[in-house]
Amino acid sequence: MAAAEATAAAAAPLPVRDLAVVELGPLPLEVLLLALLGLTAVVILRTRELFPAALLTGVFSLINAGLFTLMDGVDVAFTEAAVGAGISTVLFLGALSMMDRSERQRPPRWRALLAVVLTGAALIYGTFDMPSYGDPQAPVHRHIAPQYLAGAEAVHIPNVVTVVLASYRGYDTLGETVVVLTAGVGVVILLGGRRRRRSAGVGSTIEAGGRDGG
Amino acid sequence: MADERGPVVDDEPPMRMREQIVLQVGGRLLTPFILLFALYVQFHGDFGPGGGFQAGVLFAAALVLFGLLFGVDRVQQVIPVSVSEVMIAVGVLLYAGVGVTTLLLGSAFLDYDALSAEHGQHWGILLVEAGVGIAVAATMTRLYYAFGSLHPDSEPAAGEHGE
Amino acid sequence: MAAESVGQGLQQVALSTAFDVHFPALEVVLPLVAAPLCFLFRSRAFARILSAAVAWLTFGVALVLLQKVLAEGTVRYPLGGWAAPYGIEYRVTVAGAWVILVVSLVAALTLLFDSRGSASRLAPERRYLYYSAFLLCLAGLLGMAITGDLFNIFVFLEISSLSSYALIALGRDRRALMASYSYLIMGTIGGGFFMIGVGLLYQMTGTLNVEDMAQRLPAVLDTRTVLVGFAFLLVGLSIKLAVFPLHQWLPNAYTFAPPRVSAFLAGTATKVSYYVMAEVVFVLFGAHFVFTEIGLGAVLMPLSVAAMFVGSLAAIYQADLRRLLAYSSIGQLGYMTLGLSLANVEGLTSGLVHVFNHGVTKSGLFLVVACVGYRTGRTTVRSMAGLGTRMPATSLAFVIGGMSLIGVPGTAGFVSKWELIRGALAAERLWLAAVVLVSSLLAVVYVWRVVEMIYFGRPEGLESLGRDGEPVREAPFSMLLPTLILVAATVVFGLWSDPTLSVARSAAVELLGGAGG
Repeated sequence: MAAAEATAAAAAPLPVRDLAVVELGPLPLEVLLLALLGLTAVVILRTRELFPAALLTGVFSLINAGLFTLMDGVDVAFTEAAVGAGISTVLFLGALSMMDRSERQRPPRWRALLAVVLTGAALIYGTFDMPSYGDPQAPVHRHIAPQYLAGAEAVHIPNVVTVVLASYRGYDTLGETVVVLTAGVGVVILLGGRRRRRSAGVGSTIEAGGRDGG
Repeated sequence: MADERGPVVDDEPPMRMREQIVLQVGGRLLTPFILLFALYVQFHGDFGPGGGFQAGVLFAAALVLFGLLFGVDRVQQVIPVSVSEVMIAVGVLLYAGVGVTTLLLGSAFLDYDALSAEHGQHWGILLVEAGVGIAVAATMTRLYYAFGSLHPDSEPAAGEHGE
Repeated sequence: MAAESVGQGLQQVALSTAFDVHFPALEVVLPLVAAPLCFLFRSRAFARILSAAVAWLTFGVALVLLQKVLAEGTVRYPLGGWAAPYGIEYRVTVAGAWVILVVSLVAALTLLFDSRGSASRLAPERRYLYYSAFLLCLAGLLGMAITGDLFNIFVFLEISSLSSYALIALGRDRRALMASYSYLIMGTIGGGFFMIGVGLLYQMTGTLNVEDMAQRLPAVLDTRTVLVGFAFLLVGLSIKLAVFPLHQWLPNAYTFAPPRVSAFLAGTATKVSYYVMAEVVFVLFGAHFVFTEIGLGAVLMPLSVAAMFVGSLAAIYQADLRRLLAYSSIGQLGYMTLGLSLANVEGLTSGLVHVFNHGVTKSGLFLVVACVGYRTGRTTVRSMAGLGTRMPATSLAFVIGGMSLIGVPGTAGFVSKWELIRGALAAERLWLAAVVLVSSLLAVVYVWRVVEMIYFGRPEGLESLGRDGEPVREAPFSMLLPTLILVAATVVFGLWSDPTLSVARSAAVELLGGAGG
C-alpha cells in the first residue's frame, strides 16, 4: 500500500521530461559528442606518440563527461571529469616520463583485431533489444529506482545518488574505497621503495623495476 | 631507448614551466579555491552532485597542480609521503569503522539508523563520505608522488621521503 | 527514521540479537579491516600476526557458517539493514560456504607457512605491504563467494584481482613483473566483460540482486540484450577461471609469483570464479536456458576436454616445477568445468568437491616446491634430484600430492574423478569417462618425471649443494607443518570422503534447483 503510493509519487515527475527525449530522439549535441568521442578514440589508436595519446585520453574523458551530463548523470560526469580528464592524465604523463615516448612499430595483430571486432559486434547486437534511451517504462525506472527516490525523500536528502551510493548500496561504496586502497597498496609495493634504493646508490635495483635496457 | 625526442621532452617542459610566471601565479591563485571547492563538493554531496569520491579527487588535483608548478618536494613539505599513506588507511578505517560501530550497536553492518534514530542516515552518510574523501584524496596524492617523483626534475627530493 | 511508513523498500530488516547473525558480514569485514590496519602500523611483526589471526578467524567463521547453512538453509544478511533487492544482501549458500571454507583454510595454512629468506622482492621493513595485499586478496575472494549481489561480486572481484596483481609482481624473478602485467591486462578485460554483462542485465531487469534478477529474467530471456549480457558474463568469468583457451595468463603468474602467493592463488582464485560461474549458470539463468536453449555444453565440454589434454601435455614438458604445477592446474580446471558442463548432480558435485580436493592438493604441492626452493635455491625439476634421502618428508609430500593430481584411489583427487566419471555415465557419455581416464595417464607421466628425479636422480656437481652452498636438508618445521597438513588432508579426505562429498552434493543439488530452491 505504502509502497505503491511511494512509487506513484516518485514516478510522477519522471515521464514528462523523459518522454520528450524519446520523441525527439537523440539530440544533435549528443550525436556531435558521440562522433567526437569516436574520432578521439581513433586518433588515440593511430598515434604512435604516447605524449599526445595520453593527453587525448584526457580529452576522451572530458567528452565522455559531457555525454554523461547530457544523460543526467551529473555525479558520474563529475567523477569522469575529475578522474579521467584530470588525475589519470597526470599519472599517465608521470609514467611516460620514465619510458619511451613513442610506440614501436608493430606488425598488425589480426587476432587481436578480430577479437575487438567480435566484441564490438556483440555489443551492438546486444543493443537491439534494449529499452529506448530515456524510456520511462524501462525496468531500471520501474523496479527499484522508485523506492530509492521515495527513500531519499523520506530522509530529506535531495541528491538521491548520494543516498543510493552511501546508504542503500553503501557496502559497494566501501568496497570501492577498498579498491582505491588496494590500488594505493599496489603502487606503494611496486614503486614505493624505489627512491630509497636509488638514493642509496643502487641505480636500478630489481626493486626499481626500471625499464632500462628497453 | 635513445629516442631522439627523448631528451627534449624529458628536460624542457619543467624548465619552461619554471619560467612561466603566468602559470605559477595562476596556479597559486587557483589552488586554494580548488581546495575550497573540494570541501564544498564533499559536504554538499547531500544536496548537489558530488560526494567523497569527487571531492577527494579534486583535493588531490589541487595538490597535483601545485606540485606540477612548484615541484613535488614542496607539496611533500605539507603532506609527506608517510602522511599520505596513513590517511589512505584512516579513510578506509573510518568507513569500515562506521560499519563495525553499527554492528556492535546490534544492527546490521553499515545500518546507519543504529547511530541515531532521528539523524542516523545523515550522520552515517556524512561519516562514510568523509572516509571516502580522505581515502581517495590520500591515494591520489600518493599515486602522484609515486609517479611524479619519478620525474627527473624532482630528483633533488630523493631521500627525503619520510618513509 | 521514518522508514517503515514510506515503503517496503525502506523496511529495516530486524536482526536477531544473537551475535552470530553477523558472521556473514564478519567473514569479509575482518580481513577488510585488517588490511588497512597492516598498512597503517607499518610493522612486519604486527602484520604477520594479525593476518594469520584473521585468516584463522575467517576459517572458524566459515566453519560455523557452513554448519549453519547445512542445518538451516541459506543464511542471509542485509548489509546496511536494507532488505534485498534494495540493499546488498549477503546470501550464504551451501556452495558459497563450501568455497569460503576452502579459501579461508588455504589462506590460513599458507600464512602459517614461514616464508623467511625467500618470498618477495620487498625489503624486510616493507614486508607489511605484502600482508596488507594478501588480506585484501582474501577479503576479495571471500566477498565474491558470499555475496548475493551481482555488482558486489564485481567490486570484490576488483579487490581480489588488483591485490593479486601486486602480489604476483613481488616475485623475486624480474619476469614476475611481466607475468603480473599480462595477468593485469587479461584480468582487467575479464573484469570489464563481467561488468558489461552486469550492466546489460541490469538494463533489462532493473535489479542487481542475483535472486531477484533470476526471477525477473525469464520474462526477457529471449531478448538479444540478455543473451549478449550472458555471453559477456561468461567470457569474463572464463578468463578469471582460466578456461582453455583463455588460460595463457596463468602459467607465468603462478611460476613467478612469490611461493606463498602461488600456493594461495592456485588453491583459491580460480575456485571462487568457478563458484561464481556456477551461480550465474544455474541460479541466475537456470540450467534449462543455458544448456537446453543455448547449448553451452556443446562449447564448454570440448573446451574442458581440450584443457585437460593441453594442460597435462604441457605440464609434461616443463623444466620448472612451478610451471609444471601451473599447467597441471589448467588441466585440473578442465575437470571442474567438464563437471559443470554435464549439468547433472554428479558432474557438479565432482566440480565442487574438486574445489576442495584440488585446492588443498595444489596449494600443498606449491608449498612443497617452496620448501625445495628454500633449501636448494632452485625450483627446477632437476633440483629435486636425490631429494628422496635429503628431504624425505618434503619428497613424500610431493609423491602424495602428485598421486592426488593423478587421481590414485585413496587420495582426494580420486574422489573427484570418480564422481566425474559417474557424472559422465549418468549423462550417458561413455566416451567422456574414457577421456577422463586417458587424461589421467598424462598426469601419471608428469608426476612420475618428478618422482623419478626425487628417488633415482643423482645431483650433479653444484646441484648437491643448496642455497648459499650449504648441504640440502629437510625444510624447517615452520615450513613443513602447513605443507604436511595440506598434503595430509588430501589423504584424509581421500579415504574419508563422506563429509566432503556430502557437502558438495548438497551444494550441487541446491545450485541445480535454481533460484529460490
